[in-house]
Amino acid sequence: MKSLLLTTALALTAGGAFAEEIRVLNWQGYGTDLDWAVADFTEKTGNTVVHEYFTSEQEMLTKLRTNPGAYDVVLINSAYTKQAKDEGLIDAIDTAKIANFADLDPALTGNEDLNPGGQLSGVPWTWGLTSIAVNTADFAEMPTSLSVLWDPAWKGRVSIRDDGLEAVQFAAMATGQNINEITDMAAVEAKLKELLPQITTFWSSENDWNQFMSAGDFAVATYWSGSAARSLSKGLPIAFVVPEEGAIGWLDGLSIPTSSTKKDAAAAFIDWMVDPEFYVKWDAEGAPVSSNTKALAALPETSFNRQLVADPATVARVQFMRPVSDADRETYLKLWQDMKAAQ
Amino acid sequence: MSNRFLAHLGRAYLGLILFFLYAPILVMAAMSLNASEFYQLPFKFSGEWYDRLWNNREILAAAGRSIWIAVVVTVLATTLGTAASIALYRHDFPGKRILQALLFPPIAIPWLITGTAMLIFFFGIGIGRGTPAVIIGHVALALPYVIVVVSARLASFDRVLEEAARSLGASAWQVTRAVTVPWILPGIIAGGLFAFAVSFDQFVVSYFLSEPGDTTLPVLIYTSIRKGFTPEINAISTIIIAVSMGLMLLAARFTKFGGDR
Amino acid sequence: MAGTIAGQDRRKAFMLLSPAYLWLTVAVFLPLSAMAYFSFLSEVPFDGRDWHFTIANYRAFFETGTYATLLWKSLKLGLVVTAVSVVIGFPCAYVLAKVVKGRAREALFLLVILPFWSNSLVRIFSWAIVLRGNGVLDRAVNAVLPWDVKLNLMFSPTAIVIGLVHSYLPYVILTSYLALQAIDDSLIEAARSLGAKRRTILWRLILPLAAPGIIAGAVLIFVPVVGSFMEPRLLGGRLGTYYGTVIEDQFVAVFNWPLGAALSFILLAVVLAILAAASPVLKRAAT
Repeated sequence: MKSLLLTTALALTAGGAFAEEIRVLNWQGYGTDLDWAVADFTEKTGNTVVHEYFTSEQEMLTKLRTNPGAYDVVLINSAYTKQAKDEGLIDAIDTAKIANFADLDPALTGNEDLNPGGQLSGVPWTWGLTSIAVNTADFAEMPTSLSVLWDPAWKGRVSIRDDGLEAVQFAAMATGQNINEITDMAAVEAKLKELLPQITTFWSSENDWNQFMSAGDFAVATYWSGSAARSLSKGLPIAFVVPEEGAIGWLDGLSIPTSSTKKDAAAAFIDWMVDPEFYVKWDAEGAPVSSNTKALAALPETSFNRQLVADPATVARVQFMRPVSDADRETYLKLWQDMKAAQ
Repeated sequence: MSNRFLAHLGRAYLGLILFFLYAPILVMAAMSLNASEFYQLPFKFSGEWYDRLWNNREILAAAGRSIWIAVVVTVLATTLGTAASIALYRHDFPGKRILQALLFPPIAIPWLITGTAMLIFFFGIGIGRGTPAVIIGHVALALPYVIVVVSARLASFDRVLEEAARSLGASAWQVTRAVTVPWILPGIIAGGLFAFAVSFDQFVVSYFLSEPGDTTLPVLIYTSIRKGFTPEINAISTIIIAVSMGLMLLAARFTKFGGDR
Repeated sequence: MAGTIAGQDRRKAFMLLSPAYLWLTVAVFLPLSAMAYFSFLSEVPFDGRDWHFTIANYRAFFETGTYATLLWKSLKLGLVVTAVSVVIGFPCAYVLAKVVKGRAREALFLLVILPFWSNSLVRIFSWAIVLRGNGVLDRAVNAVLPWDVKLNLMFSPTAIVIGLVHSYLPYVILTSYLALQAIDDSLIEAARSLGAKRRTILWRLILPLAAPGIIAGAVLIFVPVVGSFMEPRLLGGRLGTYYGTVIEDQFVAVFNWPLGAALSFILLAVVLAILAAASPVLKRAAT
């Protein structure tokens, strides 16, 4: 609360930054567009918020490229921050304008990918895991290994996301490789080939996932931790598992486009997004892990995220995803398409 | 087999096809009244989704925008498309086959590609984004459907009728208004219905070309799918279908467009 | 004299055609030309990217079997969906045009298209509820039949065909209706009074006269189905990868518009070639 007053004061002193309409580019339903959060922000700063959504990272970049001046805050996954910065789409962040900045996890604010060229260009906001979730009606005991995806017992009730990169990364983990430096592509390919007959369908959104899981089409499927928290809060009988091989970690940052004309209001909004008051309320509805250590400490003991980060051994197994070159993305996609076409 | 028996059989078949066409609509409506957010069976009655819908300004506004855009698109596409169909029917000129073939790229090329192309091009020439851009895009995607459908009706039109009217001294415009259009009216209505459907379900173009905040219903549905949409969407869709059905039955009661002789 | 009439004629044609085609030019043809241009580049020419002219994107189609396999799979899907729709839809149109009389016809005409004034994604999810094991269909069949049946059509090519036929059936019903309704009943009566059999009347009189409508409907189904990816993805499960999917991926999963554009234009070329090859046959059927 104090920090917000401070931000408001800062915004005032910055001059004319009061009562502006800022435009936020994000996934739909991903924190920034919660009704109460926007209303609180407007009440506290006078600024109003309009949202625009993207449905893929490529599309987010396209929108930034083709609509200069249209956005003031944009959510960018750390694997894309460097690309956006290199193309001149986003600016370095003036951390002095973000009152909560001092409370953010230094491991995240110092993250190499959020600091292209040594300049922080995305404020770390949330992070989470892509791992597996199981239907607790089918599993009396939680699986401990990724090999459960390959277990013939679940043939026809396994699902992974329809995404070449993610499929390749899971196969890399299952073959004991580092997801960011895959050396043995042949092993990955062989492993994926074994996986495909197990699959019932590929999922592509939380919407399908929830429906297929609740109808019993899935017994075990890859999933995002933030989504698992949300599905749990909606009453789906699932458990999120981080197997011994590890999980894919991702980090989302909030950036300010170079072309924004309302950078102070944008910074004030980002500050609100990393505020503990905001996060604790969001977490109750199902959210990924906050970058703010004070916010995490303020969570109730029973919170999914609190439990997720409680065990250092789990966190240590996470392999954070680094930027992937266009050429690698295309290679993985082609491999994935070839395999799906052969079905 | 007697003719009457065959006629009954035919009506029964028509009923069966209508049941097939409405099966998912019935399921959609049922799920708007089902308690489970994930469409889980067995069915448990709940009015929750309708309650929530009344308070969901975003969905209501998006539905309203979708409807008025679709109405404007239907009027424009049907008018332009009918004029073009009549010209293609009446006149022979070099390049006519090419013009007809050009109707297929917008249908054949996936809308994602056409939408992306529109986005770049509209920015390049300064149309930019906004409702006018959305309408320009929708009309263009609906036009080929209108032209193909109206042309299908014109194919069975006897030009002798036009010539007879002309020989009686009617002007070309009078002939069109009094002879040609009444004959092809069922085709124009069908074309208009398809144009409405194309616009009302159009996601990609609206999505790329809308101003932030000005969402349409399909855009709202597609963008919320990543995090999951609720049966409020079923509720609004059910209301739209029910109201349209009422309006259509009224229209059928008081007008004639099916082409009765 | 003849020249001026032809000239006048052309002017009229031009006046009627130009609004529609100008509109299409600005909103579709020119943007697609830009895409066609991209399909010959190595990279999308946004600032900061190096690009050069190349035909590599078109060559990529032939370098592996994947694209051709999927295109063939999509063409087969288009044919099956079109054939099923015509076979189911034509009799329905016939009943509507020739058996149903009066106001009911107007109402039914409108009701055929009404289901499509809803969202396609919501409709597909509704089909999922119907088709899956322990879904609506499975429960309904088991409620009627005394013995136990396990009916799970979800995530299969059958589910894709059901979903697509449902989505496109109204086209062929309405276009066939437009042509059938135009056939003078007295013509059929005359044939009948001359002793022609039902089958002869159908094959020699009704089908040829209704051909323009059937063909228009078939084309409006075949062409978009070949590029579809939504229904296959959601209903087809593991087997739901089609040509439309790999095009979409180039825009969504990676930033390879040139390849996506090239694959789209190959699709367009193949579809147009099929229509051109079929048109003499269809023309003969129509006369």
